[in-house]
Amino acid sequence: MKIDTSKSQTLFPTILASTVHDIKNSLGIVLELIRQLASKQQGGESEDFSQLEFEANRINHSLMQLLVMYKIDSNKFSLDIDEYLALDIINEARAQQDVLSKLNSVRMQVDCNDDLLCYCDYPHISNALGTILNNALRYTHTAIFISAGEEDGYLKFCIEDDGQGYPEHLLAADLSDAADMDWVKGNTGLGLYFVAMIAGLHKNNGKTGFVKIDNQSRLGGARFSLFLP
Amino acid sequence: MSFNLAGKSILIVEDYPAMRKAIRDMLYTLGADIILEADGGVNAINAMAKTSFDVVLCDYNLGAGKNGLQVLEEARYRKLIGNKCVFVIISAEQATGMVLGAMDGKPDEYLAKPFNAQQLSTRLQRNFARKDYLACVEKEIERGNLPKAILNCEKLLAAGDKKMHSQLLKLRAELAISSGDFETASKLYRDILANRELPWARLGLGIIEFQQNHFEQAATIFEQLIKDQPMLMEGYDWLSKAYEGLNNLNDAQAILHRAVDLSPQSILRQKKLAVTADRNGNLDVAEKAYRATVNLGKNSVHKSCSDFAGLAKLYSKTNANDEALKTLKAMRLEYGSSMEAELRAATLETELYKKLGNEEASEEALQKVIDFNNQLGGKIPKDLQLDIVKTCFLTDQHDKAEEILSGLIKTHIDDEGFLDDVRRMQSGIGMDNHSEVLIQKTKQALIATNNRGVALYKQGKYKEALDLFEQAFDSLPDNKTITLNMLKIIIHDLKTGDVSEEKVLRAKSLFKKGRQIGIDPHKLGVLQMELSDVSRQRLAASSS
Repeated sequence: MKIDTSKSQTLFPTILASTVHDIKNSLGIVLELIRQLASKQQGGESEDFSQLEFEANRINHSLMQLLVMYKIDSNKFSLDIDEYLALDIINEARAQQDVLSKLNSVRMQVDCNDDLLCYCDYPHISNALGTILNNALRYTHTAIFISAGEEDGYLKFCIEDDGQGYPEHLLAADLSDAADMDWVKGNTGLGLYFVAMIAGLHKNNGKTGFVKIDNQSRLGGARFSLFLP
Repeated sequence: MSFNLAGKSILIVEDYPAMRKAIRDMLYTLGADIILEADGGVNAINAMAKTSFDVVLCDYNLGAGKNGLQVLEEARYRKLIGNKCVFVIISAEQATGMVLGAMDGKPDEYLAKPFNAQQLSTRLQRNFARKDYLACVEKEIERGNLPKAILNCEKLLAAGDKKMHSQLLKLRAELAISSGDFETASKLYRDILANRELPWARLGLGIIEFQQNHFEQAATIFEQLIKDQPMLMEGYDWLSKAYEGLNNLNDAQAILHRAVDLSPQSILRQKKLAVTADRNGNLDVAEKAYRATVNLGKNSVHKSCSDFAGLAKLYSKTNANDEALKTLKAMRLEYGSSMEAELRAATLETELYKKLGNEEASEEALQKVIDFNNQLGGKIPKDLQLDIVKTCFLTDQHDKAEEILSGLIKTHIDDEGFLDDVRRMQSGIGMDNHSEVLIQKTKQALIATNNRGVALYKQGKYKEALDLFEQAFDSLPDNKTITLNMLKIIIHDLKTGDVSEEKVLRAKSLFKKGRQIGIDPHKLGVLQMELSDVSRQRLAASSS
């Protein structure tokens, strides 16, 4: 088959859109089947199901990241900023990771005022937190602590766990700089790079959003912080 | 789990059976017991025509046929869903809202695939809570009772719920715009913007300038807005309207073109581009946009035979006569027994067959035009009447042409855009300035009537003023200025003089007429607010 390159350029967005739609349909069905099978099965295989759920979520996040990168690249991306409740965003991220957190029986605690307001792009920020939470659920031992509050004119979301903590090379990396490809390698690094990029697109009054990671978790493991202006 | 969907009627619209089943299973875990399914747009519309649903979960991508937004558009247009129904568009992508939004209705929620039961439940809970909270305002808006809607909105604002505050302010500002209270709306938006730069508030400020005919200021705001928010389609739509207001049709076309490139799925936007490019003489752009419009029309409630006719006219202009006839044939297939479609086809065929030298067919078509025109009369859309006038001039039916034309000018004497269309049509057939005398005479007659009516009104002779305007309707039917003046007089009379049921009824029927003939909603809104003040004062007086 010969492909007319001038035509394939205009075809690409259409084919990309249909392909993504198709993969997402399949993922949706896979995830629902995992949930159903897991609820029927008692005991033994829960670890396998949990791995399946984690991987499926990971595929989904990677797919979304690719798509956003493509849009930024072709100048078809802009944030849709509005006012939301910080708690709604936390709940959205939690709901997204609901099956995995049940499978792993992780204790999850939330500390956020129910009238705390947040100015951001809702789907992108709740997804970003979902990505971090998915990772935390994978690496924590027993508990996760999610909190939100105001700090120095920023709204700060925190996700803390009681796992091993971030590895040394990630702690040393400059999260806003993808040029240093070493740290971006691997799923955790890719996810962090993407979240940092989305945060950096949030701007207000000369301030820019950013992320910070360290191992100062109150639970003794990794701590991720997202700052939105 | 405390949240339960038992007793709620839910419709799933999804073309992929395995996905339908997955969603259904999720809904079962949330306690749902009334679930209906549709595998495509047409079946979804049929289901909504039969049942009033509490929740519609509709996939955006439904394969062949309508897409999810076209389903929503049609459901809203045909009033198949009430303001209590939560309509969710399920899409494969994040943040499709802005791109697809505007010129089409907006759903209550976009949900990205894949999602689980917990996500669905969180979103539905939030929407039910919001709808319950705003019901007292939305209900009055749906009823058309603006004053009551504003009153209820003020009450909610006074209650001071911080969580809903922003949404209420947005709604309050929109209500202020609808009631012509631009000062309040502008203050609300400025207060919001002082705290935070939010696109909808910036857009609102632009709309306020536009509604007051400050097109220059409006354009400046919208230009900056789309620079900051390049994917906000509403910004492009309003900017093109502002350019149109400035009579800058080239920039209007350019901006519509950019919007269509970013978001090609909106039929109304494509049509706007087609018509604008056609006016500008950019026939290539117009042809492409008309073809897109006709294509999108296959699945849209906004489809119209005028789109086919527009394309056929375009072909006729470039002497692609066979293409034109082919397009008309396709139109007949799509619109079978519609008189309007037949009339549009015959009008163009008269001209086309004449050009092709087929005098007999041309005359036959012309006879059809004249017969249909006599049957339908004033019910024919103005653009089609103008086409008929053109055809009559071209076939030497001058008396018929003048008759229709004079009616058109008198009815639409307020509509400068349409008068320009009349002038353009005449120049196109070598009759420059043909109607200028009639247009000027009609304008003067209107001004004279207005002056006399206003003078009578100032002398306190309300009845005489109203009679004068009523008579003026004979020669200037459906005139907006006269309708508005009559409303002002009646309301002033009610404020200062006796209140009678008869006067109130007359005011109400004039409001109805005003809406029918397309007076700006905010101009009617101001008067509606005044009328409601009168009724309230009357109630207060009678109870004291």
